[in-house]
Amino acid sequence: MFCFQCEQTARTDTGAGCATAKGVCGKDETTSDLQDLLIYQLKGIGQYAHLLHQQGRPDAAADSFILYALFTTLTNVNFNRARFQEMIAEAARIRDRLQEAAGTRLAGPAAFQPANDLTGLLAQASIASVRAGLDAAGADVIGLRALVLYGLKGVAAYAHHAEVLGQTREAVGAGIAQALSFLASEPVDIEDILEEALALGRLNFTVMETLDAANTGTYGTPAPTNVRITPVAGKAVLVSGHDLRDLEAVLEATKDMGINVYTHGELLPAHSYPKLHAYPHLAGNYGGAWQNQQQEFAAFPGPVVMTSNCLIEPLPAYRNRIFTMGPVGWPGIKHLGHGDLAIVAQAAKALPGFAETAPEKTITIGFGRDAVLGAAETVIGAVKSGAIKHFFLIGGCDGAAPGRNYYTEFADAVPEDAMVLTLGCGKYRFNTHDFGTIGGLPRLLDLGQCNDTYSALVIAQALAGAFGCGVNELPLSLVVSWFEQKAAAVFLTLLALGVRNVRLGPTLPGFLTPALVDVLVNRFGVLPVTEAKADIAAAMGRAA
Amino acid sequence: MTEITLLTRDGVRLNVPCAPGQTVLAAAAAENLHLPAMCGCGNCGQCHAHVSTGGYEMGAYSPVALPDAAQGGVLLCRCMPHDDLVVELPYDDANISRRAIPEREAVIESITQAGAGAMMLALQLRPDETLGSGADFIPGQYMEFTVPGMEIKRAYSLANLPNWDGRLEFLIRLVPGGAFSTYLGTQATVGDALHLRGPMGHFKLDEASPRPRVLVGGGCGAAPLVSLLRHMAGYQEWQPEYLVFGVNREEEMLPQVLFDELRAGLPQLRIIQAVWHPSQGWGGFSGTAAEALDALLAEGMESPDVYLCGPPKMLGAARAVAGAHDVPTERIFIESLAG
Ligand SMILES: Cc1cc2nc3c(=O)[nH]c(=O)nc-3n(C[C@H](O)[C@H](O)[C@H](O)COP(=O)(O)OP(=O)(O)OC[C@H]3O[C@@H](n4cnc5c(N)ncnc54)[C@H](O)[C@@H]3O)c2cc1C
Ligand code: SF4
Ligand code: SF4
Repeated sequence: MFCFQCEQTARTDTGAGCATAKGVCGKDETTSDLQDLLIYQLKGIGQYAHLLHQQGRPDAAADSFILYALFTTLTNVNFNRARFQEMIAEAARIRDRLQEAAGTRLAGPAAFQPANDLTGLLAQASIASVRAGLDAAGADVIGLRALVLYGLKGVAAYAHHAEVLGQTREAVGAGIAQALSFLASEPVDIEDILEEALALGRLNFTVMETLDAANTGTYGTPAPTNVRITPVAGKAVLVSGHDLRDLEAVLEATKDMGINVYTHGELLPAHSYPKLHAYPHLAGNYGGAWQNQQQEFAAFPGPVVMTSNCLIEPLPAYRNRIFTMGPVGWPGIKHLGHGDLAIVAQAAKALPGFAETAPEKTITIGFGRDAVLGAAETVIGAVKSGAIKHFFLIGGCDGAAPGRNYYTEFADAVPEDAMVLTLGCGKYRFNTHDFGTIGGLPRLLDLGQCNDTYSALVIAQALAGAFGCGVNELPLSLVVSWFEQKAAAVFLTLLALGVRNVRLGPTLPGFLTPALVDVLVNRFGVLPVTEAKADIAAAMGRAA
Repeated sequence: MTEITLLTRDGVRLNVPCAPGQTVLAAAAAENLHLPAMCGCGNCGQCHAHVSTGGYEMGAYSPVALPDAAQGGVLLCRCMPHDDLVVELPYDDANISRRAIPEREAVIESITQAGAGAMMLALQLRPDETLGSGADFIPGQYMEFTVPGMEIKRAYSLANLPNWDGRLEFLIRLVPGGAFSTYLGTQATVGDALHLRGPMGHFKLDEASPRPRVLVGGGCGAAPLVSLLRHMAGYQEWQPEYLVFGVNREEEMLPQVLFDELRAGLPQLRIIQAVWHPSQGWGGFSGTAAEALDALLAEGMESPDVYLCGPPKMLGAARAVAGAHDVPTERIFIESLAG
């Protein structure tokens, strides 16, 4: 196996990459190799799908499969080898269907025939490795192709979340097929691949906009909301991941039963959507970011539902009471569709629940673009009066690495006259700290999930409009903590929109060679993080 | 006070203080680390581990349970440190329970014949304030019963699947003159309350393994294998699966409905029924479970995971067979039903 798609990838003197029998995340060699093969097949499907899109006869089911299948290969999503064997067989059938429809035979991944047993598949895996062709193409090309592929995975994940809420756009299916087809052609020109990466960044903006429309269209516009972060006595269910539709399904399946539903991790923003907030048994938020889940799930006195990343190996203490949904999977863990949720309610009733109500503690979330822009006059006034000198957007994922303390230190060291905006699960490092208020507004504004970067960009553009300047001239600094591939998609969007001076950490992606880092730094103004205090001073100095 | 360092297979280090005369098992339990163990008196071998540094004294134990005493092998329930010890545990940190092993009350729901000399016992757990009402265990685990009216305890593996209804099922082979066997065969009636401890044990499926799975059981060793197979049926894996089950006489064979259920749930499962002393008309394999395993492995297959469950003699023979067919030791998973 070889995988270097996420921030926690194994790093040695000779380079980055998980290359032993098991990755740092727990993904084993077999699963990793099967994921590579599936992606290779998706490139082949993409070749035909691209053709069909160009001819105006897209195959919607194939487009949908691509999204779901790419999503399963993100970090911390699906570890179930058997599921990948199934998907590989399905991918072959879909390729056949598209080939038939296209009426032509394409070469490359499009012509790939997967073996029909595991030994055969594993023997084929080397052609599908992210490093295939390294000797001929060189590390820069391989790294840049990886950036495109990982960005594409992120785009697919967001598009899948939108799709389950009924929002699809043909342009998205077409864009993804084009990108897969591009990768299938094994491009070697750095400028071509960079251009593709930026195109993908633009596509991701459309996808995040679609997801935003899906979320707000289905559940209403997020509003500032106080969320309880301590348990109340009674039977309990915990829902983790990112999928609002799955959360709604769990809420429906447990209503009027005396069961309380808690959000975990990236589902915290769900509380700010009026239609989800309206469920009286959506009781609060429990625990922190994903990397603490083994202790938190073990201690939680009810079932746990995992709707998307980030999943870590379930411990025996809660193996029977954790369930996966959607793209997520772990061998031997029950996977549920929306029709199967009665078992969650049954488990909640059979498990003890919280014996006592803990003293109430709350945090305020739900500062989406409407809430912030609704207060735009106040914000603009506060900037003009000098009450707000600077904005820091500290966004992205969290992880277990010690280097991630940077973000805690950063948030705590932001001066009193600067406002902190946050999104993603990195916020659990500081969202219970007291930030006070600034210019009549809370000094910490929680914008939502990582895909709410869309909201952040809308806010930034509106502010730039109000001040008659560009986004890069605003007193705004973006501090991105990346972990997995959705962050890669968001990152490409920032580059594509020309947002400069994005501080990226805690480490740079292992797939970026020094030469590629130079391109990002010199051409796109990307700044690797250094020391929290020094970075803050530099940011404020630049703006002042 | 001495200090014990427990080193798990996956490299986790746990330090526990130990008072003079205290066993490693008791010292760990005092720190709320419940290491896999069962009988507590040096007989079952469940708490077997290895001391790499430090001096200790072993209390009375059965040599069968500790064949490698001369090479640093210990039974933690009998091992009393003289000075600081480093103990290598043959399992992962995840196998160490941080909660006390639950004590439960259960009521007999049904007792039915399951082949000659064996019973299917179904129990209903009574709800517990802190544990709830479900039957939460990992397929392959067992419960420890207190024999009614006696102080003594016996282990029985669960044959069903974890469930939220609180139902426990066991397959129990009656041992003539045995304590629990006598209770079950002559006194037990529907509605009786039993005192149980568990679940315990770390005989479980390596779910992530893509290798073929060969499950081998003999005599009273059916229950955990049935549970594993029922669990596998819920996940529709792709690898080849085999069940080799051996008994002494045909009439002791598990009920055919059980085999039918397993076959229906796992279309690719091949079942080999072995009878050591068959009658003339026997159509299955004639010989022991170990001999049937030998014949199966001789047919040739990708290197499998082998799960063995049964009495010590059968285990010894089956392990030797698997070894002779080059199955690596770490791919052989064993549950010994020696009480
Ligand atoms: C982890 C584990 C799981 C198990 N799972 C199962 C299972 O699923 N199904 C199953 O059937 N069994 C299982 N067993 C075996 C079970 O625990 C008992 O050992 C078995 O049922 C016999 O118990 P008993 O009380 O009936 O007999 P015991 O009282 O232990 O007697 C056993 C034998 O010793 C003889 N004996 C008893 N006392 C004396 C004495 N004082 N002097 C001389 N001889 C004596 C008896 O006559 C009898 O032949 C398991 C064991 C373990 C360790
Ligand atoms: S997803 Fe990350 S941790 Fe997992 S194998 Fe890939 S690089 Fe390693
Ligand atoms: S924000 Fe990133 S790290 Fe956090 S849960 Fe979502 S995908 Fe995982």
